[in-house]
Amino acid sequence: MSLSSNSTEGHASKESTEQWSWLSKLFHWATALLIFIQIPLGFYADSLRLSPFKLDVFVWHKSLGMLVLLLVAVRLLWRIKSTIPAAVAGTAGQKLLAKLAHSVMYGLMLALPLSGWLVSSATNFPVKLFWLIPLPAISGPDEALKSLASEIHEICVFALIIVLVTHIGAALWHHLYLRDNALKRMWF
Amino acid sequence: MLRAAVKLTVTLVTALLWQPLLGADWQSEIQNSQLNFAASFQNLPINGRFKQFSVKYTTDQAAQPVDLQVRVIVASADMGNTEFNTEIQALDWFNVADHGTAVFTGQRFEIAPKNKAGIAFIAHGKLQLKGIEQPVTVPFSWRPIDHNQVSMSGELSLNRTDFAIGQGEWATGDQIGLAVRVWFDVRMLSNHD
Repeated sequence: MSLSSNSTEGHASKESTEQWSWLSKLFHWATALLIFIQIPLGFYADSLRLSPFKLDVFVWHKSLGMLVLLLVAVRLLWRIKSTIPAAVAGTAGQKLLAKLAHSVMYGLMLALPLSGWLVSSATNFPVKLFWLIPLPAISGPDEALKSLASEIHEICVFALIIVLVTHIGAALWHHLYLRDNALKRMWF
Repeated sequence: MLRAAVKLTVTLVTALLWQPLLGADWQSEIQNSQLNFAASFQNLPINGRFKQFSVKYTTDQAAQPVDLQVRVIVASADMGNTEFNTEIQALDWFNVADHGTAVFTGQRFEIAPKNKAGIAFIAHGKLQLKGIEQPVTVPFSWRPIDHNQVSMSGELSLNRTDFAIGQGEWATGDQIGLAVRVWFDVRMLSNHD
């Protein structure tokens, strides 16, 4: 289903024009947008004193978080099924680092909504996603589990921030300094 | 003949077993008793329970209720996590600092239509909660377990604003619903034996 097919140019060129598929691009930018909303929203919700407003902010955070989980699950299935463009030119170390960063991001994009879901369930607080869909509890009320899941959720978000800085930094470095196709081939 | 004798024996034994149930004072046994409530958020239940409460119940010779009194230590409310448990003790919610105990006193009893849960009654009385007294109706059923133990269970719905629970920004039922379901299953022990 890949839209481009000029990956058989022979030598690894900086100017490789191989594009990501439109579906990959959609998944990438949709999750990017959601994550950029989710991170500040989560910190903001956490900082609020208990009030009806806080509950509303958390309904948004949980709704978007479950949307991320769904998107990432579908995206992973799509990624396993499809062929992806070869890595742009770089050293073996750089390629390994990129691969590692991408794997860690996928892991965190699953771990964050899952640990958040666990916090919500163990807190004994029900929620209707987008005020429509009741989210089933994946645990009974459990204070110890809630603390553990909160801890994991927090560690994961800081880890994600670090990996995202690396990811965005690398994309900009490729685009602005190396002037290769790395960012362009994910753009529309 | 034999069948008649068996039938008579069974009847007599049943009557004997039931006998202490007549004209008795009953007291709840906390270990085997539950007093639960469910508030709601987005119309989904948030369950909680009161860990400390006591029920006193008196029946007359005809095993009919003559007195019912329920005392609840409001601060024992447990909603499954520390944050809620602290929040609900505050002024806007239960205000336990000023109103530590809730009391229901049955004033008039009627026999409810029989159901499969056992013998059913309706207690009309007054509930004093957060310093506010309101008439409340408590339907309950009464099921013998053995000769001096019975199970008393029932369910009712209260409007939290009748008792000023959830004031200020929580007063509208938009998020935390106004109706609170209360249900109980209390093990009652007979005082005389």
